[in-house]
Amino acid sequence: MATRIRDNRITSSAMQIYLDYSATTPCHPEVISTVQLVLSEHWGNPSSLHVWGERAAWVLEQARMQVADLIQAPLESIVFTSGGTESNNLALHGVASRFEQPQHLIISGVEHSSISNAAQQLAQGGWQVTCLPVDPQGRVQPLALQRALRSNTVLVSVIYGQSEVGTLQPIPALAEIAHRHGAYFHTDAVQAAGRIRLDVQALGVDLLSLSSHKFYGSQGAGALYVRPGLDLVPLLAGGGQEGNLRSGTPGLPAIAAMGHAAHLAAQNLAAESVRLTALRDRLYGRLADNLLLVPTGDPQQRLPHHLSFWVRWPQTGRRSSQPPLSGKAVVRQMNLAGIAISSGSACHSGKLTPSPVLLAMGLSETAASAGLRITLGRETTEADLDWTAMVLEQVLTRLTESKIPAAV
Amino acid sequence: MPSRPIYLDHQATTPVDPRVLEAMLPYFTDCPGNPSSLSHGYGWEASAAVKYAREQIASAIHAQPEALLFTSGATEANNLAIKGVAEAYFQKGRHLITVQTEHSAVLEPCRYLQSLGFEVTFLPVQPDGLLELSLLEQAIRPETILVSVMAANNEIGVLQPLSEIGAICHRHQVLFHTDAAQALTKVPLDVAAMQIDLMSLTAHKIYGPKGIGALYVRQRQPRVRLAPQVHGGGQERGWRSGTLATPQIVGFAKAVELGLAAAETEQPYLAQLRDQLWRQLRSQEGIHLNGHPTQRLAGCLNISVEGVDGQALLLALQPKVALSSGSACASGKTSPSHVLLALGREPALAAATLRFGLGRLNTPREIDQAAACAIAAIQALRKTPSAQWVPG
Ligand SMILES: Cc1ncc(COP(=O)(O)O)c(C=O)c1O
Ligand SMILES: Cc1ncc(COP(=O)(O)O)c(C=O)c1O
Repeated sequence: MATRIRDNRITSSAMQIYLDYSATTPCHPEVISTVQLVLSEHWGNPSSLHVWGERAAWVLEQARMQVADLIQAPLESIVFTSGGTESNNLALHGVASRFEQPQHLIISGVEHSSISNAAQQLAQGGWQVTCLPVDPQGRVQPLALQRALRSNTVLVSVIYGQSEVGTLQPIPALAEIAHRHGAYFHTDAVQAAGRIRLDVQALGVDLLSLSSHKFYGSQGAGALYVRPGLDLVPLLAGGGQEGNLRSGTPGLPAIAAMGHAAHLAAQNLAAESVRLTALRDRLYGRLADNLLLVPTGDPQQRLPHHLSFWVRWPQTGRRSSQPPLSGKAVVRQMNLAGIAISSGSACHSGKLTPSPVLLAMGLSETAASAGLRITLGRETTEADLDWTAMVLEQVLTRLTESKIPAAV
Repeated sequence: MPSRPIYLDHQATTPVDPRVLEAMLPYFTDCPGNPSSLSHGYGWEASAAVKYAREQIASAIHAQPEALLFTSGATEANNLAIKGVAEAYFQKGRHLITVQTEHSAVLEPCRYLQSLGFEVTFLPVQPDGLLELSLLEQAIRPETILVSVMAANNEIGVLQPLSEIGAICHRHQVLFHTDAAQALTKVPLDVAAMQIDLMSLTAHKIYGPKGIGALYVRQRQPRVRLAPQVHGGGQERGWRSGTLATPQIVGFAKAVELGLAAAETEQPYLAQLRDQLWRQLRSQEGIHLNGHPTQRLAGCLNISVEGVDGQALLLALQPKVALSSGSACASGKTSPSHVLLALGREPALAAATLRFGLGRLNTPREIDQAAACAIAAIQALRKTPSAQWVPG
């Protein structure tokens, strides 16, 4: 298959349009040069005292500076990890392991699995875990957090930008409530980073997770912001790298890529978010003209590149009582047509289950199996989206006519 | 441009082979897929690349591909093996056995388990760095769940007798983990023949990229249970969640392939360079070889030098030869190496240690230069008034 996503000429069969930027983003071309340079020149071990070590250490510290700048954080607060999943696990387990006895943890009902499963693990160890409800737009209400707090609540973790439905949470308000209560506050900002402005001071968070491959860095690097003064128990014990918070030789190529990508993201963020919002709204308008779309997530408080919905039925379809088409089936057909979109977050895409996020937002099982996600990025053009809108209508019409059973 | 020092620190890390870089680059540029995104073609492509890499790396240690899971490096692999087994088997027993000369990425997880109430036996080694097998056998108790012994030591290069250890562990039905970060492609590794249940690997010691490694977990006879330490999307069959780093995995596999293909000529070549270096160094008095003279990695020579200050010696050499006194992660620390102390070296002598780590690209000429530099530096330091060294 053709794999060059930059090469998205509209030429029927060879055409490839990538609209799954929330699953992963391609490395920025400038970032690739950095990776290449680090792999070929700066391959030293940052812990070594000789010139190769010094140079590698310099690359590492420069990346730390760039990532710190992206979230307005002090340099020493950035801990590099292997990705968002590890950052989230380090945040939860790192705080939890400080307590000899199990305490109370609060998360939201729309977390990424790296938070919800880490929390479940703690629950198996005796922790009390509360999953905050969300409203139909996927928002956590500050009042709900207020109510959920207990005397032994030590940590609250709420995702900032939801990957499946794009909803942004009121983090400053939630963090303030947690702090008033004496609990720490963590946010998973993996989807938000590089897409909206992040300022750890303004957000008021103690811990914040990032992942490089969601903002045009490469896979294999992430970071956790740890507010200076906060002690964590490391997940990885060993040589004591990263201020003893994360042992192991740092994955320098991916970390350098993350730094460079963070720098570019900070530069482009303002203009790019405006561009993507306009493109997204235009796409939504085109789709809504011909299809019975039910948008999911918050229409205002959302990630700028993110469009999510389920299709009640193409309006051309007759019996509106018929159940909706499964998201999976639609995604598969779109893929055959050369357009990559998704039906849920990537790590669920092998499984045929209704989306837990949509269920948490109160959707029915069938509607929650019909969710679609179109996420835009650097390479996305108006022409791509016009073509996508046309193909999606065709796919839905054909699927409807062939009477493919629903939710399969 | 001033000429760079000669790089003799290949146990700390290795340069990335240009062929590895070449193999990786397409996965940065053309294939942005998340290998978990199985609903579209971009994901398929990444997933196929990972599958092929897994097969290649698994075959290098005679394992089934399903038994290999990717991690961010050997540190994570060691942590997962040790804590993962402890958590899965604690009802069977709470005793682990390891060796005093292990890497900190084994020792520290063991100490962490001690803090949770597990018992850990840290076995001593003989003066040549080899584990005494009878001691291991005696240390095994009914409640022992894991024995962790490294394949090749990162400071002194000593190779432990994996087959014998594997046989003992299996006779006692105790799981056997080996940290093979330094051994992969350099010495034969066969998880079946050596009866190894868990094995940690990393790419950056074999001319691959940093930030990628693997853990082998035996699937049959016995099927090892492992409690995951990182939870999330359930990648790597639930053992290790997190988006896989496709380019790094592809680079890792390429490095393994190249390492294996070259091993037959490269290892004898490195041994020759190492012996050449040792012949020159031993012409000086008061220089001691650390570790077994033959049961060792071809590319590693570790010496302790009488009558000099270790830091001063390293500093004197640094402009001309890039090497270290021991483990890279301990570079900032001034205390003598725990490995050398375990061999019974006096702390003062252990503190004056040089680890020469030889690699693929080193030439005989470089080795001569390095030897000459080291000898000159040693002689100069011994002449300083503070040294007061008298040949004994
Ligand atoms: C919100 C969110 N958190 C965490 C992650 C996990 O990050 P990574 O893929 O770097 O492990 C993802 C992406 O998969 C995500 O979307
Ligand atoms: C024997 C040994 N084990 C483990 C490690 C740690 O590996 P990594 O740097 O991949 O975390 C190293 C090297 O640093 C090593 O030499």
